[in-house]
Amino acid sequence: MKSNTNNSRSVNSTVGGAKRPPRIPIGHWLGVLPFFVFSGMFLIAPTLVLAYRSLEGPEGGLTLDNYRQLASDTVMNSYGMSIKISLTTAILGGLIGFVIAWVVSMGGLPPRFRLITTTFSGVAANFAGVPLATAYVFTLGRVGLVTALFKMFGVNLYKTGFSLYSFFGLTLVYLYFQIPLMVLTILPALDGLKREWREAAENLGATQIQYWRYVALPVLTPSILGTMILLFGNSFGAHATAYALTGGLFDLATLLIGRQISGDVLHNPGLGYAVAMGMVFIMAFSIFIYSILQRRSERWLK
Amino acid sequence: MTTTPVSPAIATNKRPVTTQRLGSWLIYLVVSLYFLIPLAATFYWSLRGKKDVLSFEAYRKLFADTSFLPAFSQSIINAIATIFLCLLIVVPTAYWVTLRLPKLRPVVEFITLLPFVIPAVVLVFGIIRLYSAPPLLFTATYNSSRVVLICVYVCLSFPYMFRSVDNGLRAIDVRTLTEAAQSLGANWVTILFRVIFPNLRVALLSGALLTFAIVIGELTIALYMAQHTLGPYMSDLTRSKVYEPSAMAIVAFAITWAAMGIIDFVGRGASRQAQKTEAE
Amino acid sequence: MNKKFAFQLFALFVIAATVLSACGGAAVATEAPVAATEAPVVATEAPVIATEAPVVDPMAALYEAAKGEGMLTTIALPRDWCNYEAVFNGFKAKYPGIEVNELNPGAGSGDEIEAIKANKNNTGPQAPDVIDVGLAFGPSAKADGLIQPYKVATWNDIPDSAKDAEGYWYGDYYGVLSFSVNTVEVANPPVEYADLLKPEYNGQVALSGDPLASNAAILTVWAAGLSTGATGDAAAQAGLEYFKKLNEAGNFVPIDGNSKTVGIGETPVMIDWNYNSMLNNVNLAGNPEVVTNVPTKGSLAGVYVQAISAYAPHPNAAKLWMEYLYSDEGQLAWASGFCYPIRYNAMMAAGTVPADLAAQLPSTEGAFFPTIDEINAAKAIITTGWPTVVGVTVEKPAP
Repeated sequence: MKSNTNNSRSVNSTVGGAKRPPRIPIGHWLGVLPFFVFSGMFLIAPTLVLAYRSLEGPEGGLTLDNYRQLASDTVMNSYGMSIKISLTTAILGGLIGFVIAWVVSMGGLPPRFRLITTTFSGVAANFAGVPLATAYVFTLGRVGLVTALFKMFGVNLYKTGFSLYSFFGLTLVYLYFQIPLMVLTILPALDGLKREWREAAENLGATQIQYWRYVALPVLTPSILGTMILLFGNSFGAHATAYALTGGLFDLATLLIGRQISGDVLHNPGLGYAVAMGMVFIMAFSIFIYSILQRRSERWLK
Repeated sequence: MTTTPVSPAIATNKRPVTTQRLGSWLIYLVVSLYFLIPLAATFYWSLRGKKDVLSFEAYRKLFADTSFLPAFSQSIINAIATIFLCLLIVVPTAYWVTLRLPKLRPVVEFITLLPFVIPAVVLVFGIIRLYSAPPLLFTATYNSSRVVLICVYVCLSFPYMFRSVDNGLRAIDVRTLTEAAQSLGANWVTILFRVIFPNLRVALLSGALLTFAIVIGELTIALYMAQHTLGPYMSDLTRSKVYEPSAMAIVAFAITWAAMGIIDFVGRGASRQAQKTEAE
Repeated sequence: MNKKFAFQLFALFVIAATVLSACGGAAVATEAPVAATEAPVVATEAPVIATEAPVVDPMAALYEAAKGEGMLTTIALPRDWCNYEAVFNGFKAKYPGIEVNELNPGAGSGDEIEAIKANKNNTGPQAPDVIDVGLAFGPSAKADGLIQPYKVATWNDIPDSAKDAEGYWYGDYYGVLSFSVNTVEVANPPVEYADLLKPEYNGQVALSGDPLASNAAILTVWAAGLSTGATGDAAAQAGLEYFKKLNEAGNFVPIDGNSKTVGIGETPVMIDWNYNSMLNNVNLAGNPEVVTNVPTKGSLAGVYVQAISAYAPHPNAAKLWMEYLYSDEGQLAWASGFCYPIRYNAMMAAGTVPADLAAQLPSTEGAFFPTIDEINAAKAIITTGWPTVVGVTVEKPAP
């Protein structure tokens, strides 16, 4: 690996030792061209439309007023709530998902369980939205199955202050698609942990914990971080599940946008678009932090 | 390198293995309960179609509706097309970003996460605005709109596909593999299709499963693009009926499970084949 | 290579399955069982149309023009809302040759407006021809230049307060807010707003939507305030206080009520338009039985309006659709869905409403029909007050 980077460096240095900016062959750009064309046409262009419309006032004409409204309590609260629930479900989902992925790949379970788990994970990830919210109403709602079960044992869940229609409830529901997402996405990384490393560590007298702390986790950290930001984004942008479960009474950014753009009551689409642009910036910022963390974690791999 | 630590090391690891296995079973059981109970509850309610009695009435009504299967098959075809396209675009991109264009990584990662922060309703209105007028007139007919829909789905799958492939690439030593292949005289097409793709089996499978899930159930964009796929069908059902949606959820679950089982099986079949040739 | 082949095989299999199944079904949704139960009521007035037909001559020319366009695109028309199912079926039966393309039945009024805006240049199937929106959206859509004027043949039967003088938008139907009650979960169905505060309804009362996004929900808040005897703006504030009390008593369930949540008993008492509740009861066929109680104090009527998009790709089909909606046949189809058609008073005077249809509509005696200005004033108070007064921004975790 080292020789490769030395080669490219020697290509870039001139006779006098001064550095020339690295020349990337056109061929390399061709490899990523389809990606940029597609994302350009179907992601970036609409985002630009979004940005343009966020500058539109309710009576037409351009204004920065929508962005000024971003600083209002309502909007800030909704961003805060969205970030909170996204962080919570990303971390929880990441942890539990990682454990499950480990359990089915090297936890000693029969290999068939891995196939079942991956297939189910694929399906569970699809279950988000109204079907999932409904399933939870059937389970933990006031007339839900589990609620009824608790009643049989004399415990009235809802009198204890528990409610499905709360932050806790929403987290519980979100995890239903966050965990499978983590499982499916981190499995390839777990497969990359070579058995030889494990055996070499054991040969040198390392315990389980030491193996994980010094070998496995450092190798896996970039992948884990990357997947967690995927989970964060997934939760951040979720709308259908939250709407179905909380009737828009919960303060999330995506619900706020829906109210302005789609609802029957308020109608300031420009504000909705501005809130959406705010989400784009928050996401960009998260990626910035993530790439710093990721570069740090990759250092030892080189 | 001493040989004496080997025996005690193996001996001490035998006991942790059994407790480890027990722990694995326990964790798996608990998490399985978390996932299965809501499904069981949905199934139970789907049997309440007739008053006071458990019956399959809701299922009967569901299958009596003739618009269910066409919607479902449209979604399946869209999903397969999306998976193919997405694989073809994402794998080379991830490969090049990892190997040759590391500076582009933050840009690419940001773009792949854009689908999360553009609300679907905003995205579809933007798409319609952009591509409903000449010279970029793509929304004139149902089928041309369908192509646009698939292209949008490809972009919506970027986050999942890219992350899976990226994790997969990290797990294999891409650089060494590439160098080895190059030293054997392979060009980049050969490297991609005969070295990289086969080694990314698990990652591609994960990405494919997630993509399938997204396309099958997608609602908002299909609705506004006037496409008759499964998402709008299910949404319609949910709005008006009480018991049929639960039956619908269970049926969709079962069929999606079957389709994913097939994808999984196909992928594993190929991997078994590849392993055989590797062993030889 | 093996994997590619297997994928191709799978794709072929799926394509084959699609082709085979596509041979059977049409892409457009078909008639569900609901039509069967409503058909007898609608069919009784067919003879009335027969005597009218020779008079309605201009429709023939419009019909030809619409047939030439070949398609009508609607949006936000759920088939179980005011029995739009019967309306669609009746239209297709009377004017064959026009494909009806139903976009997004679940769209909100804002969605409909956005759809017109986004599809300004689009003549494809994504562009809506006609919209059915909340009363307040009529004037704003006209101001934005999104709709075009058209006066149907029966224009004069529409009350002045429910239409735009220049013909840009026009009321189509109305209903009254009522309590939709699941009789299995609730032994003693409430009758008035004051009843809802009683402890026996703990954890049972829900709105039909988000007061910040749903027309019916925000009108409910206002109606609750009206029931206390307040009027106008004071009623809006009183409504907020009412829901604060309801929430503090623990009676309020903070989720979107709909026919499903009532049917399974999750929101056994839901406040919604009478027509949704009554149709839900018909659909459920006794499993369970849902009663619809219209309160005498604070009864509020809500009007929706129709309009034709200024950018409609099929303007003649749109006009024909409007003519159908405002013909006796169309109006009575809505009545069969427990809605008051806007021409109700004129039709009652002319004797064209069958007795059984009239009987199943709830009483609108004492119902308050707010004007657009009154609605906007109340809306402003409730939307700003709801998050703070009622404070059902659930479970804000400590910062």
